[in-house]
Amino acid sequence: MDVLEIVKPGAGASLQDFGRRGWKRFGVPPSGVMDRHAAAWANRLVGNADDAPVIELLLQGAELRVLEARRFAVTGAEADAELPAWCARTIPVGTRLTFAHHRCGLWTYVAVEGGFEAERILGSASAYPRGGIGRTLQPGDRLAALGEPNFKKVGDGWVFWSERRNYDEPPLLHVWRGPQWDWFDSMERTGFFAADWEVSNRSDRVGYRLEGARMNPPEGEMRSEPVLVGSIQVPPNGQPIVTMRDGPTVGGYPKIGLMDEESLSWLAQCRPGVRFRLALME
Amino acid sequence: MKWTPLGSRAALVEFAEPDPAATPARARAILRLLEAEGGETLADFSVAFDKVLLEFRNGADPSAQAAKWAKKFAALTPLPAAEARLHEIPVRYDGEDLIELGQRCGLTSEEVVAIHTAPIYDVAMLGFSPGFPYLEGLDPRLHAPRRANPRPRVPVGSVAVGGSHAGIYSVESPGGWHLLGTTDVRLFDPARREPNDEAMFLLRAGDRVKFVPVD
Repeated sequence: MDVLEIVKPGAGASLQDFGRRGWKRFGVPPSGVMDRHAAAWANRLVGNADDAPVIELLLQGAELRVLEARRFAVTGAEADAELPAWCARTIPVGTRLTFAHHRCGLWTYVAVEGGFEAERILGSASAYPRGGIGRTLQPGDRLAALGEPNFKKVGDGWVFWSERRNYDEPPLLHVWRGPQWDWFDSMERTGFFAADWEVSNRSDRVGYRLEGARMNPPEGEMRSEPVLVGSIQVPPNGQPIVTMRDGPTVGGYPKIGLMDEESLSWLAQCRPGVRFRLALME
Repeated sequence: MKWTPLGSRAALVEFAEPDPAATPARARAILRLLEAEGGETLADFSVAFDKVLLEFRNGADPSAQAAKWAKKFAALTPLPAAEARLHEIPVRYDGEDLIELGQRCGLTSEEVVAIHTAPIYDVAMLGFSPGFPYLEGLDPRLHAPRRANPRPRVPVGSVAVGGSHAGIYSVESPGGWHLLGTTDVRLFDPARREPNDEAMFLLRAGDRVKFVPVD
């Protein structure tokens, strides 16, 4: 049964779960939700498995219309919807959820009780537009949910305060050594961890460009090698790029570091202007 | 063999052979081993040129896990080219950059076609887009830096060269390689699911490719 209609997708809307594994050797990136912490909590609020498919909205402008009374949850970036972030409630038929005024973070997650019905391609419901896989949501699209609504639950469900995130105040982000760590001299490494960084507005689900300091890329040509999500590459222009979830599976720039998975969810929500620092993981 | 742990759950293993020409045969053997035995302990893996990425399912020391795999890789008998699948790719040499690339390399278009169709290429890795092959074996006369202004949209099926590699655009995407021609063969097709999902991909690393000119 259809439970939700996309009236307006806003700056971007797609279905995502925790991504696909096992296809990297064919050039298929994992994709999946940009912020796992927020997506998992959206699902938990409505009783789903952490990695059930959710709607991922970029910034503001989206409008969704409820077609069946069910419990819905919103987490992640706060956008002044009728349903506030980090909350679940039963929404009556016909209600429009509008995500108009964006306050902090970049990605908002909408989960529904039972979970959205979605075709699995290569083991995942995650949209990967370049590969023509999965659902990027368009005006008029309708989404169905699994299972029957359970009206015994009443009132609002909230995520614990300690688990809600203020994306304008990220903690230290943790970075492991990258495969070409040794190519960077100690001055470069020191500068990398001393700088205040922010995400450039030329960033998307493929890669986040970092601004804050200009790195000197090491000398020497390297051959392309397999790349993990979270890799921090330093191209010839000295502006680091973090490979995000739709990023290429191979890359030919030296990698100074690898963002830890927990920190990657934080980074994903840092909008331009939000400063953060990096710390080395041992 | 050398290996580097990457974070807490992955490692990169380097298997370069003293003779670089022997690397594809080693890569084929490693891929076959991982496809047969990797499922239980590996969440994912991939091979590119002379490196293997291993992503572990469990949280045990990645360096120790990589060491075990590296030992197995070193003990493998390389799989020679004769054991690789060979794909013939029909190409219409109607690419937008055919004449320009010829001029840059001091060749006529006919010569470019003859040089491009002569070798049997090795698929050194798939990457950039799903199913996009980096083909080793391009004649040095066709090596050319990528275009200064990459195209925002290269059509699917474009047969191209960039740097020291030949390739085929497997999906429509931005791209900076020089377009020599077009093939109707689809390197990635999400609708091809029989007998299993691997059928979506025409090529795998370690395969060989020959281009055949058609009108």
